[in-house]
Amino acid sequence: MIDKRLFKLPGVTPVLIVAALLTLLQGGAIIMQAHYLTSVLVLSWRQQPLNTLTTGTILFAIAFLCRQLFIWIKNIILDRYADKASNDMRQQLLDKVYVAGSNDVAQSGTGKLVTVALDGINNVYNYFNLIFAKVMDMFIIPWMILIYIYFHSVRSGLILTLVFPVVILFMILLGFAAQDKADQQYAGFLKLSNHFVNALRGLSTLKFLGLSERYESNVYSVSEDYRRSTMDTLKIAILSTFALDWFTTLSIALLALFLGLGLIGGSIPLFPALVALILAPEFFLPIRDFGNDYHATLNGKNAMTDILDIIDRPTVAQSDTVAPDFQWDENSTLTANHFDLQYAPDPKQPTDLTDIQFTLKGYQKVGIIGMSGSGKSTLLDTIGGFLSPLTADDTATNNFTLNGENLPNMSQKNWQTQFSFIPQFPYLFADTIANNIRFYLPEASDEAVVQAAEKAGLTDFIHSLKDGFETKVGEGGRGISGGQAQRIALARAFLDQNRHILMFDEPTAHLDIETEYALKATMKPLFEQHLVLFATHRLHWLKEMDYILVMKDGRLVQQGTPTELADIAGEYQELTQHMQRRVTI
Amino acid sequence: MKKFKALMQRDTWVKPYLRRYRSLLFFSLFFGVLTAICAAALMFTSGYVIDKSATHPYNILLIYAAVVLTRAFGIGRPVFKYLERLRSHNWVLRVTSDLRRRLYHVLEKDAAFFEEHHRTGDILGILADDLGHLQNLYLRTIFPTIVGYILAFIIIVIMGILNWFYGLILLLLFAIEIILVPLISVNIEGARRYRQKSINNQLYVDLTDNILGAADWVISGRHQDFINRPKPALEKLRASQLKSKHFGWSRDFGLQVVFLIIAIVLIIFTNLHLTANQAQANFVSAFVLAIFPLSDAFIPISAGFDELPIYSDSVARLNDLKVPTRPLPEQVASQPEKFQQLTLKDLTFEYDADSPLLINHFNQTLKKGEKMAVLGPSGTGKTTLLQLILGDLTPQHGNVLVDNIDISALQNDRSKLFSVLNQKPFLFDTTIMNNVRMGNEQASDDAVKAVLDKVNLKDKIEALPDQYNTIVQEAGNRFSGGERQRIALARILLQDTPIVLLDEPTVGLDPITEQELLETFFTLLNDKTIIWITHHLQGVELVDQLVFLSEGQIEMQGNPHKLYEENEHFKQLYEMDRGY
Repeated sequence: MIDKRLFKLPGVTPVLIVAALLTLLQGGAIIMQAHYLTSVLVLSWRQQPLNTLTTGTILFAIAFLCRQLFIWIKNIILDRYADKASNDMRQQLLDKVYVAGSNDVAQSGTGKLVTVALDGINNVYNYFNLIFAKVMDMFIIPWMILIYIYFHSVRSGLILTLVFPVVILFMILLGFAAQDKADQQYAGFLKLSNHFVNALRGLSTLKFLGLSERYESNVYSVSEDYRRSTMDTLKIAILSTFALDWFTTLSIALLALFLGLGLIGGSIPLFPALVALILAPEFFLPIRDFGNDYHATLNGKNAMTDILDIIDRPTVAQSDTVAPDFQWDENSTLTANHFDLQYAPDPKQPTDLTDIQFTLKGYQKVGIIGMSGSGKSTLLDTIGGFLSPLTADDTATNNFTLNGENLPNMSQKNWQTQFSFIPQFPYLFADTIANNIRFYLPEASDEAVVQAAEKAGLTDFIHSLKDGFETKVGEGGRGISGGQAQRIALARAFLDQNRHILMFDEPTAHLDIETEYALKATMKPLFEQHLVLFATHRLHWLKEMDYILVMKDGRLVQQGTPTELADIAGEYQELTQHMQRRVTI
Repeated sequence: MKKFKALMQRDTWVKPYLRRYRSLLFFSLFFGVLTAICAAALMFTSGYVIDKSATHPYNILLIYAAVVLTRAFGIGRPVFKYLERLRSHNWVLRVTSDLRRRLYHVLEKDAAFFEEHHRTGDILGILADDLGHLQNLYLRTIFPTIVGYILAFIIIVIMGILNWFYGLILLLLFAIEIILVPLISVNIEGARRYRQKSINNQLYVDLTDNILGAADWVISGRHQDFINRPKPALEKLRASQLKSKHFGWSRDFGLQVVFLIIAIVLIIFTNLHLTANQAQANFVSAFVLAIFPLSDAFIPISAGFDELPIYSDSVARLNDLKVPTRPLPEQVASQPEKFQQLTLKDLTFEYDADSPLLINHFNQTLKKGEKMAVLGPSGTGKTTLLQLILGDLTPQHGNVLVDNIDISALQNDRSKLFSVLNQKPFLFDTTIMNNVRMGNEQASDDAVKAVLDKVNLKDKIEALPDQYNTIVQEAGNRFSGGERQRIALARILLQDTPIVLLDEPTVGLDPITEQELLETFFTLLNDKTIIWITHHLQGVELVDQLVFLSEGQIEMQGNPHKLYEENEHFKQLYEMDRGY
């Protein structure tokens, strides 16, 4: 219920101390409120005139208002802290995303990560608020009330003391039983709503199969089935609230009985009896509040665990080992020195890349080929510095050698600003086309952007748009075809003349043949004066390459010029023959 | 608020359902009221027990009835609350089933809607969520408000009977507490909540840019820009939310003050009017204490009102859904076994006057068993062509004829004539057996197994622990893209229609998988008429006709072998594709 990491949050202690003080004041106000209300009621019971009640009523009102005021102040303080702490957590999460680039963190599913950064953080915020406020109330207020009641009536105090552990015990016992059921119910609920979304998504398929009309009754009956099973679980799931209520109200009834008997027997006067009765609901209130919000706290706790797990995941920070004036030129070399790589930091798992060794020189055009899942993208990501190699001794600092300088990994600021990366689906930011083109070089002039767009073959397309270069694309903007998105990514590369390395990851795999044909003509001039790394399984690109890396099962099984490789029996021959084979039946 | 009122007037998705399952709804509200009454009565009787006992009655039997009642109310409160929660959930879930059926029905009738949803993202998920929002609207706003109003009514009536003047005062105070403040609250907060929703959407966009575009940010070296990107929206949102929270806290404080006044009014009333003798005075605590548990029923009403604008989008979206009325001619029975030819005659189509002509005077005739491939960049109307052929869309000009019968007259029998395999075949969250059998519900287990054998999945499936009863997981982790296509193909083989439409079934697969899959398709569908949309030239030797679409026009057309001989552009494309 309470994650221990909660108390290690920065700046949490002073906030908790202030909140505890306010809770003490709040408890005092609750007692005062009951005290003066009782005094007023006793006077009325004695049939005293209204003016004798004035002081008591005013003091009751003041205590009542103070209590609400303390709650208000406590809300402000805890909210400020919860807001800040949850936002810091979001910031840490984003920092992690930046450090890890597209990959490591993205393993947890990028769509999910956006939700975590928004809804997850909101849940954490609620969690902080609830856990601090409600737990504090639960640990302070009942005991203050109890002490006060003991002071006035030992018998009432004893009753409440005896009932409290029973309430807690039953809450725990039933709570656990009910929790299981509640979780099941939640899973059932998810399944139900998934079934429905599924039916909607499958609607066109159902139509093709001629089943869509009949499926309507299925949608209803499945929904009804789940309703019945949900009701069955709900009957048990809400038992914990029921039990809590039951003990609270029954102990009040019990208290009334015992106090009544005590009064009849003359062992206690009216005032302590009445004040105990008035305070009894307040005694149970914090624990009931906590019980009611149990689910919200659970969601929040899970969200926090998720987020902290991502934040605590080991990643390699970008470093500045490579000098700021580093520039890749025709004499530059990059050597990979037999490194291994593993996504999951678990030594029992097989490595994802094994014993990678190559040397890249100057403005080579390097093709990377292999079957799906052979490690082409992983290799590119490692060279790009989004993944970090792992070696047997784990401390190797020479996994790479760049122009004679040994590096543990390529997560180097001044290396990463030397290349353009063009994946299969380039990401377009929710911004104008012009700003998307100048993404690597935000201060580029409009003319430069126009020129780059021209070189990337975008001019006609952009002129066909009403807002031209100012057209908004990306999330919430105008949809754009895969081919045009590729051209925007190419325009980025054309724009930034200082980047002498191009990395492509299957850039044309999903494009239609004519678009690919046209795009190829655009790309070829860009290759000049650049080191090109090109992962593909489209055969025709290999003719543009002068060096080939052949990947298989995470290993670099062959490397050499295309002509060399074509003559040796091996993976390259197999792959090219396979790709060249015509479909026959 | 006005907008919400107008919305409620034309609403058909919330109001009508309040009339459904009336007894269930009645009991759920009734128990809700009883819960609060028991809570109040418990304090009432307890207070009476103590006051009465303090007069030292000579016999315990004099308070016996009150003691029994305290116990009864003490038990009654949790029991009624329990029943209320069960009833209200049951009612809401019942209504949800109805709403789901209705939403499904509307979408099922609206074929063109699917084209729409390609443009607007995940509208289906949004609509499904909307139904969830309606559940909250009932449970968190409508029900508590009704219960609160009934309780207030009861209290005011009782007070009015005892003393009409105090009854009026309470009427006034309750009017402030549960009518005036909620209305003010929703007027102030409503617009703000609405704005927060739109800022939140902006924040979503910013965070998506940060997270999905992370690699580009790193490469660009713009670390500071990355950090700053979501900040404006975030700061705006936090500032606005803080205002909301401050408003909420001060409003709740105000509500407590009104409540305090109600309590003081009761203190004064009991002192002035219940102190004629000791028997009356014994009710003093009872009256005053009974009011306190009821604050739970009144104070949250305002917060519930604040949420109304959040639901209004959902309610509006659902109300805007219309069952489209597309006049279809009288339906004719088809004769799939006698199918001879499919004719596309002079087809012309555009979505509306503003959008470009997607299909422009398209003519094609396919005889039984002939195969046609359609190529072209995305957005050139390839998928639209399929929708026209299926009759989901009606062309502005020309028609689609199956053996000289217009497709619009064959809608009832469509699934006997056409089967469709698209990019991401939809597999339902049920067993492999059930998924495949959807092609033909009469098919025996052996028939299903036979088609799965034909598509080369027999070994893979029989190696699974549950074999043919393996659940096809929603995310499809269990089966690869190629395997999912094979399952879908098996389904189509069972459906056994004369015409098969393939909508880029191999997109996203690697060339080797693609090649194997195409070989399977064309071998098993050899006797079918096929219209195949594809984006590159892998496998095009297998078709009789090749059509290149470009901006609504046919750019090239012909037999692939002839085109290679005669058309220079095609030759270039083909050779690039082959890697020459």
